[in-house]
Amino acid sequence: MIISKDTKLAEVIHHNYQLIPIIYRFKIKFGFGDGTVEQICKKNNINTEFFIEIVNLFHNEDYYSTDKLQSFPLKYTVNYLLKSHQYFNRVKLPLIEKLIHELFWEDASNKKNKDILNKFFVQYRKEVIEHTTNEEKEVYPFILEIEKCYSENKTDDLCISKLKHKSVKDYQESHDELNSALLDLKNIIIKYLPPADNSDIIERILTEIFRLEKDMADHTRIENTVLIPVAYKMENELRKKIK
Amino acid sequence: MNKVTFIIAEKSYVIRTGLIKIINGFPETSVIKEITDAGKLKKIVNNNKPDILIINSKLLDDAHEDIREMFSEKMKTKFVIFVGTKRESEHFSYFDEKISVDDNKEEIIKKLQTIITSKLPEKHKADSVELSEREKEVVKQIALGKTNKEIADLLFISVHTVITHRKNITRKLDIKTVSGITVYAILNNIIDIDEAV
Repeated sequence: MIISKDTKLAEVIHHNYQLIPIIYRFKIKFGFGDGTVEQICKKNNINTEFFIEIVNLFHNEDYYSTDKLQSFPLKYTVNYLLKSHQYFNRVKLPLIEKLIHELFWEDASNKKNKDILNKFFVQYRKEVIEHTTNEEKEVYPFILEIEKCYSENKTDDLCISKLKHKSVKDYQESHDELNSALLDLKNIIIKYLPPADNSDIIERILTEIFRLEKDMADHTRIENTVLIPVAYKMENELRKKIK
Repeated sequence: MNKVTFIIAEKSYVIRTGLIKIINGFPETSVIKEITDAGKLKKIVNNNKPDILIINSKLLDDAHEDIREMFSEKMKTKFVIFVGTKRESEHFSYFDEKISVDDNKEEIIKKLQTIITSKLPEKHKADSVELSEREKEVVKQIALGKTNKEIADLLFISVHTVITHRKNITRKLDIKTVSGITVYAILNNIIDIDEAV
């Protein structure tokens, strides 16, 4: 299904519940009535076109192209990426950590299993925070400055000095490590962890990890196919002008 | 997990999408490449060595030619021809399986299941979860926080051998990161939780 401005937003959610966190990220609150995507976006001061591109990209990941998304001001994309950072760090990761604390084994392995899973996860959370903080403090501000210089056609000293020491290319950082950690956690729980006595919690943890993984993969895809290439193109144009 | 890999050589987007959808319904499979142009067939297949190649008869020049001769001899690829009508499939005697656009759901699923199943034992063998004693020793040292060089010195082997062991460990356990291997080591009593870094 391709989501358009005339699709009912409620239909969108019925069709793919994985879009729930995406809707939330745009600060649309549930109980939004029977409106179309366009009506609800207008009411919430959201750029409809941008919203449509993001949900379609997430929903139709196999064939939806990022071409149109590349044409929006980068601050829209950055804003969306910031919201998803918040969602990972403040909602999803604390939830999984809390669930790990709730796990329970009746036998003597209880403390050991919990301690080791917890240690792994706390370490992972720390790495995610380091990664997202670096993007928020370094990468995104730099990209937004590039865009500003580019769109205002500025080649003054300030812009030149910025480009002297840094390039968007430096930020084409890999997310492989973070991805691998989530994959490892899944395999550890599925294959190697002794069965817990409250296996409903295991089920919830696994479900949350799979959802997070999809959400994060989508996040990375937007960075790699929209943010970085568009900013890099602007940077190159700027460099040509400066010369 | 080692998956049964497919390459699909088919011009039509509709048919390609349909085939991929059916193949993805089998959990242990992965479509690694799609080919739409006969000119690129040989190179892509030789480079990727899929377990199974599905190819539309329209992309072949000569129906009577043995398709294996097009590709490197070492390949263990199974070849499946995709034809327009069942009648047409009579020509392709060199193929391991024939699928027709006229096949009904049961027929196509049965054919794919059979050919996938024939590839599974070698996949599962490659997946073997049993670590050798030597690999367990390496797991222990990784979990203790040792570098490749330190492990090599300790076990009197080359760094190159340590790297090979690590690759095999990751493949067998499906665990990549050092922290993941550490969790495995503790859960299996290879090291004590207090020893982990």
